Amino acid sequence: MTASARKDGMSMLVVDDEVIVRESLEGWFTEDGYKVDTAESARAALRLAAENHYDIALIDIKMPNVDGLELQARLGEVAPDLTVIIMTAYATVETAVSALKAGAYDYIVKPFDPDELSHLVRRAQEHRSLQSENLRLKHSLETVAPPVEIIGEAPSMARVHELIDAVAPTDATVLIQGESGTGKELVARAIHARSPRRYNPIVEVHCGALAEGLLESELFGHEKGAFTGANYRHKGKFEQADGGTIFLDEIADISPRVQVELLRIVEEKRVTRVGGKHSTPVDFRIVAASNRDLREEVKAGRFREDLFWRLDVVPIELPPLRERQSDVPRLAEHFLERFCKSMNRKGLSFSHEALEALQAYHWPGNVRELQNAIERAVVLGTPPTIEVSDLPHYVTDKTGARPSSGSLAEMERAHIEGVLTQTEWNISRAARTLEVDRGTLYNKIHKYGLKKPEHA
Amino acid sequence: MPEDVGRIWGVHFLRVGAFPPAAARELVVRISRRVAVPCKVLATPFEGEMPLLDGRTQVNADPLLETLEAQAERDNLLVGLLTLDIGSPLFTFFFGRARLHGHVAIVSLARLRPEFYGLPADPELTARRTEREVLHELGHLAGLHHCDTYDCLMYFASSVDAIDNRGSSFCPGCAERLPTGLLPRRAMRD
Repeated sequence: MTASARKDGMSMLVVDDEVIVRESLEGWFTEDGYKVDTAESARAALRLAAENHYDIALIDIKMPNVDGLELQARLGEVAPDLTVIIMTAYATVETAVSALKAGAYDYIVKPFDPDELSHLVRRAQEHRSLQSENLRLKHSLETVAPPVEIIGEAPSMARVHELIDAVAPTDATVLIQGESGTGKELVARAIHARSPRRYNPIVEVHCGALAEGLLESELFGHEKGAFTGANYRHKGKFEQADGGTIFLDEIADISPRVQVELLRIVEEKRVTRVGGKHSTPVDFRIVAASNRDLREEVKAGRFREDLFWRLDVVPIELPPLRERQSDVPRLAEHFLERFCKSMNRKGLSFSHEALEALQAYHWPGNVRELQNAIERAVVLGTPPTIEVSDLPHYVTDKTGARPSSGSLAEMERAHIEGVLTQTEWNISRAARTLEVDRGTLYNKIHKYGLKKPEHA
Repeated sequence: MPEDVGRIWGVHFLRVGAFPPAAARELVVRISRRVAVPCKVLATPFEGEMPLLDGRTQVNADPLLETLEAQAERDNLLVGLLTLDIGSPLFTFFFGRARLHGHVAIVSLARLRPEFYGLPADPELTARRTEREVLHELGHLAGLHHCDTYDCLMYFASSVDAIDNRGSSFCPGCAERLPTGLLPRRAMRD
């Protein structure tokens, strides 16, 4: 064995029961500057592989006792990153298929054409380098991209953290439910980021934002000429998410027709583009989210029960912020730090009164509303402190403060009033947010004696 | 290559079988211009039994190399020259064959000739290719591995195109590792 003269010092293991093959290849690759070891049997090869590190192994397919394919499988346990090339005296499709199925990089037929052998080993070497590069990039990506952080220490959030930790490493479908602004998208991202699929894309689809026809094309893709304006073949979101995660937000908003298609894809894991004749296998994980109670939607006949059961494999309920008021200061500090950094504002902190006001408010728009309030305060606040006056008026408005008794009527009154304040008393928008019709909203306003403030 | 490189007295060329004497003489002239030690064609060609490969019209290079090694003088490098195609049970063909740090190499003219590829004969091109192949094998005898520099003589060539494309000299890195006797005369004077 000769020490490598190559800069990258690749090492090779040649396994063949014929001495002439071992000697020829040892000489050949030593001339090429590889560090070469040889083994006459599977047992000797396994011993060497356990004691040394090899980049490439050339293994004869036909050997006494343990054949090359069996050896390849055993080597996979000892040295999983070894690149294996199978040598065979007969080029048959069966041999090639068996070798490649067993995970070999490639195979070569004896006697070797020097050109072919040289190219094959060079390609294997490049393959190794790319693998190492890929691994290195993955590690550096983890350092550069910080993990998704979900802030919340309230007891109601402990269960959420537990569920994320448990479900993330699996491929199980997750259904996240919670009011608007509770952080459903953040949870979906956290699940993806902690899953083995994290190096592949997470593709987000806001189902409520697209019309039925568009959603179909957006989800499943379309073939050229499938409909007017389909000038190009288009890959759908499911195909884009191949190997990764698809996040279906506002899943309750999809039409019955798309629900049928979705059910089929979830069951078959195959996608047929709109206007297409053939289906394509796709490997994805579904994380769906809804701000409406999907069980209620099923009961009301608006959502397919069979699809619901497909999605509701691991349900995660996100509590509204008013149910974890103890998290408000930490969340507020988190957003303060983030916005100060992005707006290059230094030395800002909350006054005691401002923090009290933030904690007292019932946050109908949940964490997103809190985030917006802090962003506004960072813009308006004068260093060193953010005062109550820097917060949105509805946060500090006594009527908008969290009801003290906690009765259902009082909660409802406060919630309706909060939404009306948010929408600046735009009845249509408020009714949509509250998911009631305008008539019902007018009745509630009358019932609770709510009045539009003069400045709204 | 003998360890004490100062003891290389010369490079000897041995015609194997029907290798044309004129081609051998021309090769000696060409190689003499490239190395410091004297070169010569041995008067008596090798006419021993040729180890042929089963079912192939080729000489088995490895046993031939062993035979020549057994009868070579230790202080001179010996290059066997053949017109027959060479290969081994494991490789379909070779242009030349040598062991690292050995003292015998063989070079076949068969695939260096354009006629092998159905092209018109070109004696100058054949002689140039043979010269480069001989220098490449002498490099192996001197312990040089294949080199990644594409225009170095030690670059691995698996086709005649690659032999034509690689340069006619050793890259600085390889030249530095060559023993004095195999360096060009000019370099010795420098």
